[in-house]
Amino acid sequence: MKTIDGLKFAEMIKLGAHHLYQNADYVDSLNVFPVPDGDTGTNMNLSMTSGAKETEENAVAHIGQTAQALSKGLLMGARGNSGVILSQLFRGFGKAIENNATVNGAQFAAALKYGVETAYKAVMKPVEGTILTVAKDASNIGVEKAASTDDIIEVMEAVVKEAQASLERTPDLLAVLKEVGVVDSGGQGLVYVYEGFLACLKGEELPERTVVESMDDLVSAEHHRTVQGFMNTEDIEFGYCTEFMVKFEDDKLETNPYDESEFRQGLSQFGDSLLVISDDEVAKVHIHTEEPGDALSYGQKFGSLIKIKIENMRQQHLEIVGENFSVQNMTKKEVVKHPYAVVTVAMGAGISELLKSVGASAVIEGGQTMNPSTEDIVKAIEEVGAERVLILPNNKNIIMAAEQAAQIIGIEAAVVPTKTVPEGLAAILAFNPEAEVSVNTAAMTEAASFVKTGQVTHAVRDTSIDGVEITKDDFMGISGGKIITSAPSLKNVMETLLNSIIDGDAEIVTIIYGEDVSEEDASAIVSYVEDNFAHAEVELYNGKQPLYPYIISVE
Amino acid sequence: MSIEVKNEYGKIDITNDVITQVVGEAAIECYGVVGMASRHQIRDGLTEILGKENFTRGVIVRNVGDDTHIDMYVIVGYGTKISEVAYQVQSKVKYTLKKTVGMTVKSVNIFVQGVRVTNL
Repeated sequence: MKTIDGLKFAEMIKLGAHHLYQNADYVDSLNVFPVPDGDTGTNMNLSMTSGAKETEENAVAHIGQTAQALSKGLLMGARGNSGVILSQLFRGFGKAIENNATVNGAQFAAALKYGVETAYKAVMKPVEGTILTVAKDASNIGVEKAASTDDIIEVMEAVVKEAQASLERTPDLLAVLKEVGVVDSGGQGLVYVYEGFLACLKGEELPERTVVESMDDLVSAEHHRTVQGFMNTEDIEFGYCTEFMVKFEDDKLETNPYDESEFRQGLSQFGDSLLVISDDEVAKVHIHTEEPGDALSYGQKFGSLIKIKIENMRQQHLEIVGENFSVQNMTKKEVVKHPYAVVTVAMGAGISELLKSVGASAVIEGGQTMNPSTEDIVKAIEEVGAERVLILPNNKNIIMAAEQAAQIIGIEAAVVPTKTVPEGLAAILAFNPEAEVSVNTAAMTEAASFVKTGQVTHAVRDTSIDGVEITKDDFMGISGGKIITSAPSLKNVMETLLNSIIDGDAEIVTIIYGEDVSEEDASAIVSYVEDNFAHAEVELYNGKQPLYPYIISVE
Repeated sequence: MSIEVKNEYGKIDITNDVITQVVGEAAIECYGVVGMASRHQIRDGLTEILGKENFTRGVIVRNVGDDTHIDMYVIVGYGTKISEVAYQVQSKVKYTLKKTVGMTVKSVNIFVQGVRVTNL
């Protein structure tokens, strides 16, 4: 066959989808990656069915138009990772031939390849050993084959053969597949689709699979899924992994006629992870149960038992857990070295964590009433083993000490003159470990300048500052180094302060609450911001800092 | 700002930094995700795709009481079914955290910040 048109292509899609549908359960059973939830076959089948339906309804002789219908149907019906990838493969395929009325073997192969390129473009970090790999290998061989023949059947034969070979190689590329002992489920699904295409081109019937020999694959995938659920041995509900085969005996079948789904139903009362595969002579059973004897007796009603294997999973789990977790294996905490470090200053365990979580290598305990000395800063830098360092004082009274530390430390060092914790946070977020110290200093200083800081603290005596009357023990709201409000109620002070520093351009309001503030009160403040400044996002952190019930940052 | 697990030998502290790393790595392996976006990108007015060493800026781990919530800012490839890609990221992140640190997160929120069109 030299060329195919849109109507032939629609038939190919129909048979590909049907063949996948026939084997969807098997594909489900192989699914261990990316998440072993056993739905790859179901998802791919739903996606492909949606594609086939759209194709059938809109099939015309022009193959380009028919392929557009397919890619539309696949996109609308895409389900799961495999479904999204399938839709991308055929979106690219359709794009490559959109102006063709018919395609020959070479054009078909080139379109498959273009589909693969399209699919690879939509992922940052393609994982090899998946449907992507199978599609890639198969299309490469297809293009190669098309160079020596223009017969589309020969090209498709080469594609199917290589897809199958590539599928068998997937465990070598993706460790989890090898571990579990299965091939990739999405790749297997794609092989079924391609097999359907080829059968349609040849006008052949597809063989019904005989799956008794693939029970081992099913069992290992099932085990992998089951094991995921157990962090603790005591979580295991059904303790015995039980496998057996029943060899049917005619006299028993007269009283108990065998029907696979009834048989499965009958066994399901004894446990879970049930797999049943049967042909005319034998039934193969796998089940996790607390009563292996009962399951065996049930099987015996239909014939004689052969190949029995019963394992205690609790015992196995204990051994696995025990090996990996003994006191001797608990190693001392390694000191992490930061050759290019950001060292900063803050009070409060929560703030310290927050700074570290955005990238600070070390946080020196200190602040308003206990400024770290030059020596403290030098020591902290030496402890992180830095070769280059940026120092963020987060307080104007510490900037001097930081400058001195930078001069005497003897390594490349610079100070980003941050005056508050929020400025420090913004500066760290702008840190680029690839950039020179001078470049970072400029970028981080600029980032800090975009932040407005508000702080609330206690008044220690009666006074009047910046035209604000202050009474001892009142709360004071400070913004940009100026006291702007003072009142006995923390809530009122916070609201006044927020109203004054949040403007129309504010995007993110970060509220860090201190050790004397309850989570409820802090949440009430968050609600206040949400209600009154709908345009801004609010983030709340438990800073556990002393002296300052609240520190606010507005960006 | 960390997850604490106690057992008979003592306690294990896993910082949010670790969670962020794990989540970011898991996300960029998901099909359809072409990058992580900075959550501050609105300010820049253009979609800057974070470099690898920096993708953690597109992941926010929030501890609210005993619950952990995760917010992620992603860029997806043009032509993919965005809702489905986002769902896959959620499922992969939840699974990876369960598997590697044994923790269950209360929510995984995906913010699709942009679509990358490739010249194909």
